[in-house]
Amino acid sequence: MSKQYLTLHTIPDAHPSDIFALAPTSTSLLSASGSSSIQIHSTTSPDFPHTQTLEGVHPLGIHHLVTARDAKRAASAGFEGKVKVWSEGEDGMWKLDGEISDQVKAGDIWAIALSADGSYLASSSINGKIHVWSLNEAGMPKIREYETKGSFGLCVGLSQDGRFTASGHENGSIYVFNNDTGRLSHSLAGLVHPVRSVAFSPASKLLAAGGDARIIALYDVNSGEQVANFTGHGGWVLALDWSDTGEYLLSGSHDSKAKIWRIETRSCVATHSHGDKPLWTAKWLPKNTRSEMFALGGGNNAISFYREAAG
Amino acid sequence: MMDPGFEFEESLFDFSLQDQRDADWDDGSDDDMLETLYGDNDAMLPFTLSQGFPDGLSTVPSDNVDLGGERIELGSAVLNRDGVIARIENILTKIVGALLDDSDEAQLSVALRTRSHLSRRQYDQPRDISATPPPKVQEISYPGNSVQEAWRFTVVVRILELIHSCLIEHVVMTKRDMYYRHPGLFGKQSVVDQYVDDIACTFGVPRSLLNVTAAAKGLIAGNFIIRRQDGSLVHGLSEQEGILVPKIHEGDALDLSSIHWILVIEKEASFRSLLSSKRWRDLGAHGLVLTAKGYPDLASRKFLRHLSDTIPKIPMFALVDHDPDGIAIMSTYKYGSYRLAHEDIAHKDTPGLKLPELQWLGVQSHHISRTPVNEGVTETAVVTDLQGLMRLSGRDRRKAQQMLEWDICAEDGPEAAWRTELQRMLMLNTKAEMQILDELPGGLVSWLSNELEAKQGLSSAVGADEEILF
Repeated sequence: MSKQYLTLHTIPDAHPSDIFALAPTSTSLLSASGSSSIQIHSTTSPDFPHTQTLEGVHPLGIHHLVTARDAKRAASAGFEGKVKVWSEGEDGMWKLDGEISDQVKAGDIWAIALSADGSYLASSSINGKIHVWSLNEAGMPKIREYETKGSFGLCVGLSQDGRFTASGHENGSIYVFNNDTGRLSHSLAGLVHPVRSVAFSPASKLLAAGGDARIIALYDVNSGEQVANFTGHGGWVLALDWSDTGEYLLSGSHDSKAKIWRIETRSCVATHSHGDKPLWTAKWLPKNTRSEMFALGGGNNAISFYREAAG
Repeated sequence: MMDPGFEFEESLFDFSLQDQRDADWDDGSDDDMLETLYGDNDAMLPFTLSQGFPDGLSTVPSDNVDLGGERIELGSAVLNRDGVIARIENILTKIVGALLDDSDEAQLSVALRTRSHLSRRQYDQPRDISATPPPKVQEISYPGNSVQEAWRFTVVVRILELIHSCLIEHVVMTKRDMYYRHPGLFGKQSVVDQYVDDIACTFGVPRSLLNVTAAAKGLIAGNFIIRRQDGSLVHGLSEQEGILVPKIHEGDALDLSSIHWILVIEKEASFRSLLSSKRWRDLGAHGLVLTAKGYPDLASRKFLRHLSDTIPKIPMFALVDHDPDGIAIMSTYKYGSYRLAHEDIAHKDTPGLKLPELQWLGVQSHHISRTPVNEGVTETAVVTDLQGLMRLSGRDRRKAQQMLEWDICAEDGPEAAWRTELQRMLMLNTKAEMQILDELPGGLVSWLSNELEAKQGLSSAVGADEEILF
């Protein structure tokens, strides 16, 4: 059974180079690319107007940008090695909160993730170490440090309740850490090939992971068991994102294809092409009164918005 | 910074000492080697004894040498690249310090160990082979006692600077390159040869550790002819494996009428496989291929510049690895050695050695994307297999990040595509050698000829008047 999604709007040259990250809030979409600036577009009106540019914030380009689901907070990581924390003011404008600097050298952090309330930031690193930082404490201190076997942590996820951190590594390993105890919960049966995206379901019960194996694996976070495999992508899986309700999983691939998977039936219900360049990022927009929407960004420098067809 | 040596250029050839030393030296080593088939880059060898490394020296246990006022322990301590860099920086720092010191005691001097006199004695006297004669230590001061000494000081400091930048840049320079940086200062090739070897001797390292090689390392092949003034001919297709990049003298006539494109290949292996392929017979009739085996030497860059000056509209392509070094190599062809390009001195002495018309043929990320863009359509120009992709090393990542800081790779710089490709490498943590194209049907050569045909189709459509030019 397939589902119909329609292209709602495309911002053709949202950035001058590859868009590496999209990060939605309830009213806007932040985007980052190989350029030095973060762009912000409103998602509350049909023409998605541009509302703000955070100019020149990472001179060598930005590889990761994330937002907190329930708080007006964002974080960005640049190729120069810095991680900056942002917050949205009462006036709807974003400003710099601070930089992650506690016990960290520039370049130590690669992928980043924020908890739903925006108070914790998890990070992966090239040497495989996984860290958690407390953003609401003075100086944004590092509060957790997890050792792995030293393989490049390509991706990291933080469950919305903040209890779990997950990391995906270049050697195919996937780890789940318990943030309450500060211990490893599970070393999951990996995908052998590099894991490029991990994502917790909204209820923190499932973890999705994908990468060069081109399959998406679903794991039970409590038991550590693999519960499903989604096959169908022809290219590396670079992006994964759960819909608000946890019914659907959105995936983006290096071969520029996006797919939507229905969790209940374990099936692909829609496939979309986003140009002919790598699809670096795919995100659902928080569900408002309208039908479900998602946005895609990648090597064609454009951001495209899709919505579920009525009926 | 300092280049007082230019003042002494004219008196160069009067130096009796200089002439005497030349007699001991294999003069014009570069040009001789150009004629012989000079195999592998000697920088690859751990020791280049045949090039005159003082083999006995490193075993002298208590051989202390005063170099610029610094006591240097030779002997058991074997210097590596970092050690040599530190040593040179130490010397240069001391010189700068002495320059800034106003007092009379401050003296600019460098102590060099030299074997040039030794070698002569070896011929004259029978000697015990197991005994290592000590090298002579020569103190060179500035301004010194004579004009010659001041000039020698300048030569040594300049060579040290060049070696230092080679080491920092991971660039290999030929002695010929060095000479051409300052032909006015050095006067003749043998001066460079001798002092480079003296510096190697002083540090107790093989010359290859200074990133200095003897001969031009570039190879070329193609349907061109050089008519020398003496009537001799150099034909670019005369050797099946290509010929060493020839030197073009004034008065030589270049026949490039059959050349429609020029291709620069990073790797010798790919150069050779192209030349040994069946399609080379067709390709080579219309083009010229050059490899400088990695980072290009000045001789190769000069040759290309000369070609480009002779036939200005000729399309020129680069085929390099899909990794930070590949792009850096392309950058050296296109913009010159990055750091040296910002030195006024280099600008003055190597004018217009850039190749701004150089186009990037490959390997780019879209050549190695994982799957065909359109399912079901056979896309033959894209490698779809996983084989051949490699992970970036820590050095690769650092190099890529440093390159992102280059002005040419800046957001608003001229090489936005390089910036994007470097970022993609970092994002995926992958790189690929050009050999990955061998996995395509028909291999690299087939890919290459298709790409060249496609590019030529484009360029001939753009400029129909080119036909008249050739």
